[in-house]
Amino acid sequence: MMNQPSPRKFWRWFDPRYRQIGTWAFILNRITAIGLTVYLVLHLYMLSKLVQGPEAYDAFIALAKTPVILFGELLVIAAGLIHGLNGIRVGFNSFGFGLQRQRETFIVLMIIALAGTVYFAVHMFGWA
Amino acid sequence: MKPTTWTITLSISRQSGGAPRHFQEFTLEVNPDEYVLDAVERVWAFHDRSLNYRHACHHSTCGACGMVVNGVEKLTCITPIREVTRDRGTLRIEPLRNFPVQSDLVVDMSAFYQNMEASKLNSVSPVEKADLPIDHPTPAAPAVDAERLVDCIECGLCVSVCPAAATSDSYVGPAALAGAHQQFQATGEISLLDWADHQDGLWRCHSAYECTAVCPSNVNPAWRIMNLRRHVVSQRIRSLFGAKEPRP
Amino acid sequence: MPKQHSPHAVIIGAGFTGCALAYDLAQRGFAVTVLERGEIASGTSGRTHGLLHSGARYCTEDQEAARECIQENRILRKIAAQCIEFNGGLFVALDDSDLSYAPKFAAGAQACDIEIEELTTAQALQLEPNLNPQVRMAYRVPDGAFDPLRLALAFAASARQLGAEFKPYHEVTGFILDGQGAVTGLNVTDRHARQAYQQPADIVINATGAWAGHLAAMIGLTVPVTPAPGVMVAYNRRLIQRVINRLNAPGDGDILIPQRRMVVIGTTSFKVQDADYIPVFPEQVEEMHRKAMELIPAVAQTAERGAYMSARPLIGTAEDERSLTRTFKCYDHAQGGQVERLVTITGGKATTCRAMAEKTADLVCQKLGISAACQTADQPLASYRLYYSA
Repeated sequence: MMNQPSPRKFWRWFDPRYRQIGTWAFILNRITAIGLTVYLVLHLYMLSKLVQGPEAYDAFIALAKTPVILFGELLVIAAGLIHGLNGIRVGFNSFGFGLQRQRETFIVLMIIALAGTVYFAVHMFGWA
Repeated sequence: MKPTTWTITLSISRQSGGAPRHFQEFTLEVNPDEYVLDAVERVWAFHDRSLNYRHACHHSTCGACGMVVNGVEKLTCITPIREVTRDRGTLRIEPLRNFPVQSDLVVDMSAFYQNMEASKLNSVSPVEKADLPIDHPTPAAPAVDAERLVDCIECGLCVSVCPAAATSDSYVGPAALAGAHQQFQATGEISLLDWADHQDGLWRCHSAYECTAVCPSNVNPAWRIMNLRRHVVSQRIRSLFGAKEPRP
Repeated sequence: MPKQHSPHAVIIGAGFTGCALAYDLAQRGFAVTVLERGEIASGTSGRTHGLLHSGARYCTEDQEAARECIQENRILRKIAAQCIEFNGGLFVALDDSDLSYAPKFAAGAQACDIEIEELTTAQALQLEPNLNPQVRMAYRVPDGAFDPLRLALAFAASARQLGAEFKPYHEVTGFILDGQGAVTGLNVTDRHARQAYQQPADIVINATGAWAGHLAAMIGLTVPVTPAPGVMVAYNRRLIQRVINRLNAPGDGDILIPQRRMVVIGTTSFKVQDADYIPVFPEQVEEMHRKAMELIPAVAQTAERGAYMSARPLIGTAEDERSLTRTFKCYDHAQGGQVERLVTITGGKATTCRAMAEKTADLVCQKLGISAACQTADQPLASYRLYYSA
């Protein structure tokens, strides 16, 4: 019946309603993982332009300096920070360290991730 | 002292045979200090005798009355109505998730109980070993020569809330892993580690920690799963160097 | 699977008695089907106090029940250890009236073969530091606590392993008679599928406890059983390790039991006509709270965790329900030429469920001319979790 587990219910991974902060960590880790994987594919695709010669690569670099792409790059940095820092938390938790403080740890790490993202934004967009 | 009366609406998930489920509403007067299960039982007694729901002990020792109340897994016999709604509010009551529904609010616990049996958790434990180790790092009371039923009441709330259990019916689930952990702590049996060290065991957990948030009985499955990982990894490393027994 | 040529016994009610009887009859070679309108142990059994009686509670007023209790207490400790906290219990005296009851109590316990031990107040307080320090004297008795659902499931699991079939959420709506006054089956509704069907039976056993009278009334029979509910209140800390009884004649709120992380106090006693829904009366909960604090003052700082009602099936219809016996009774409805192939078992205590099943199975065997001895007292029960095995 409709209530049973099923691989097709992966959408439930992304449903934070009525859940605690642990689920937000779980969701963010999945979203950022998907984002970083997509980015890795794009990144390899762009690098493959090198094979096509300097013109193709220069054209791409020009495109990469537009604000929209820059914003995308910022998202990649944010995703990397969130995923990496949360990964450290989960890694420690997995061996029984800091589990009783997993909520607080997550909040602190996300503040660090946000600060890092702001730092990169300031530099990338030349606001400083 | 006259008790306060609230009027609340219970919106109960109904399902029978192969028909799709729907919600049926019942409005009743309750004392807000009553428990959610009392209201459900009254719906059955006075409004609709066809309603099916699981219950037995009505005081959180049997674990039969787990339901999803307004989106959150609750042991309904110890959940006061006051905590989950307000006067003229609604209680949306659904069966536990990640279990097959037999009808209405009744779920099939077979696979869950089979996993609990496989975890070898002994249902009775010496009192000093029954508490969570992190709750009592040093014995709070002098060791007593007494036994008690363990904390896990096998209600299934942890499995219902777990995102990993939602997508994998072969995952043994937080309760069984917590059971294996408790039994390992009591006996040091290596076979328990072997049983848990499996892709559908310890390594299926993806750290949402919701099991601990909904557990009505202080089992803390998340902590126990993670602590069991530590035991498994340290045992594996030690066995690389030829050690057979776990560190006492 | 039920055996081909075995007589088919259909039990109505999957409380303690129904589950224990299914196990007993399955052991004696019957094909067994258990019909239960709700969940296993969702009536009186599940909501019992959880006290494994030593019998001491009844040793002055109801010695027959007391003797049954201590015998069954010893057996259950052996066969159902998986769901019992066996730490013993205390009977404690707090005032002069309690003290004057003590000699009667000691004599009663001895008469019923219940091993008791007199403790000094210092010993009692050392065993149970949360006990009221005003304690005047105490006896130690072999009481225990059990998990109600799991006790029923352990019997059911053992029965299932012998081929018994359990059908929870199957409600009996009527009896099928053969025209000569014998029951040949039951009309049943599968509450999951909401479908009616007929369940054939060689013999039917009404094990519905407090509902036995209602069920018997479906074919115009009378069973003198009185539903006598009582309230239980659970508190959020395990303040004691042993059962604490007030050393006096049975009364309201005189037993506290430890269970998992809780203590549970009970109970009251009054009469109702219909046991289907019994409200928890706030004034009774408050009374339990006061009584609990008398025995264990620390209850005052402990939060309530749950409050519930359970309806005892008491045999008889006397005015004062406390005076009704706690023993059980088995009725063969063929007596007086009423209805053949129908037996009712009711009354009793959770502690005596196995003995109730034994007596009933003896009667069922006698009626069908089968000679098979009861073996339920010998072997430990199967793990309660195996009730759910495939």
